[in-house]
Amino acid sequence: MLKLEGISKKFNDRQVLSDLNLTIELATVYGLLGPNGAGKTTAINIICNLLKPDRGLVLFNDRPITNQTKALIGVAPQQNLLYQTLTCGENLRFFGKIYGISGKKLSQRVEECLELVGLTDRVNSPAETLSGGMQRRLSMAIALIHQPKLIILDEPTTGLDLEARYQMWEVIRHLQRSGTTILITTHLLDEVERLCHKIGILQQGKLVAEGTLAQLRQRIQAKEIITIQSPQEQAVIDRGKSLGLVSRHYGEATSFWIPELLDLKQILEYFDGIAIDGISRHPVSLEHIYLEVMGYI
Amino acid sequence: MGTIAVAQRILLELVHRRRSLILWAVFPAFILLLNATILEERAQLSRAEAYQLATPITIVGAALFFSCLGGSIATVVAEREQKTIKRLFLSPLTGLSYFLGIFLAHSAIGIGQTLVILAIALFFGAEFTGSFFLSVIIIALSILSYVGTGFVLGTQIAKRTEDVNALIATFGVPLLLLGGSFVPANLFPQSLKDLAFWNPVFHINEALAGTMNDTPWEEVSYHFTFLVIFALVMVLGGWLSYNRMLNRERSL
Repeated sequence: MLKLEGISKKFNDRQVLSDLNLTIELATVYGLLGPNGAGKTTAINIICNLLKPDRGLVLFNDRPITNQTKALIGVAPQQNLLYQTLTCGENLRFFGKIYGISGKKLSQRVEECLELVGLTDRVNSPAETLSGGMQRRLSMAIALIHQPKLIILDEPTTGLDLEARYQMWEVIRHLQRSGTTILITTHLLDEVERLCHKIGILQQGKLVAEGTLAQLRQRIQAKEIITIQSPQEQAVIDRGKSLGLVSRHYGEATSFWIPELLDLKQILEYFDGIAIDGISRHPVSLEHIYLEVMGYI
Repeated sequence: MGTIAVAQRILLELVHRRRSLILWAVFPAFILLLNATILEERAQLSRAEAYQLATPITIVGAALFFSCLGGSIATVVAEREQKTIKRLFLSPLTGLSYFLGIFLAHSAIGIGQTLVILAIALFFGAEFTGSFFLSVIIIALSILSYVGTGFVLGTQIAKRTEDVNALIATFGVPLLLLGGSFVPANLFPQSLKDLAFWNPVFHINEALAGTMNDTPWEEVSYHFTFLVIFALVMVLGGWLSYNRMLNRERSL
């Protein structure tokens, strides 16, 4: 289990993390969300022992994180950070040796990691000849070469095409099923919804919300969200208000939190007498929760 | 283990860039041929004597200077520029292992260059009657000094690959000229001789030239002592510089 207890960190006069408490259970996937500058990367740096917190403690399986425990952690940073002229196999062998793996065990791990990320046939290809998605997968394989107990994935699928994202998600699920604890930071909310058992939302260095997706959904008192497209937008808002519905503007049009599931006829009755161009219905998603928690709407 | 891995990686990268590997072998051969030809003509020496005198200064003054000093700056700067060094920060690799890995890789390159130079010199009839053991020690200390200096420059001054050329051109080439690597120091005017006294390359050249050509120890010992102190200072400087960089850049 990874535990951050009361972590605070200041850079000059800027408080980057403030009394951050966070627990990630073994063999689960934890998604850490937050806008740029929220403190996610600082938190990762502290977990990896690259930065010392001003206050607080990081424990992994009840042991403080030190230079000696670095081998427990594997990190796939946001940038791929590969030796471009070396082949995939050579990159992996180099990092394997750095972690003290050698001989047959190293060859076996190189094969396993390449197979896991689907790069077996590219073992002799220089990293510089790989596509962006393949480089990302090689970066992931490097993070796994020493069989870490905790893996930190910083924006693991940012910039990847859909197929590459699906492949990466499959790798993450496989790792979790095989008992690895995973911490993901990302801006892609659908990724968190699909992969994470628990989600934490950071804002200005503070954890402002945490829980499973089901727990976070309780922050929005709605069974579903309907979006009404109408040329009479103010009339739609006023009608919603008179019906006691919570209204929000999620970018494209006015939306309402609907406390009970309604059929289309009932929805149309709600807005009877108002010109309606379109109605769309959405389940409560992490995006709605995130926007609510961050106070963006 | 980490040391060997770093050294292997640097050499492997060099092998992949075949052109660089060939050029590292061609460069000292050219310098030796030019130095020896100039000495043979201008100092009225036999070909064998000219190669005997040109070999030590070509090894430590030119070949190792560029491959070990320039090479180690380039290694550290490329690692910082590509940010692969951040992956190393995440690993259990220690700064000492990293330094030793770079030292080992450049020692291998330096030894290769030394063998090329010696083979050419022996081909032209040069004979070296001095202490083999002491010569090896001087070459090892030179590599250590150059790698240490490379760490200082690569971690503190050079930020991009282009900076490496600028640094070598600004500081390296004058140091080599003033060290007697191209024009023998005994041809310098007195003012330059006085200045050369403060130039480590001069002492490195004199120490190896004296040792390989069996100059009495009393004449070499001063240069040797200077080299030992310089190597220690540069290794310490390199170590401190690396740690400063570590504190500055140790984050993702």
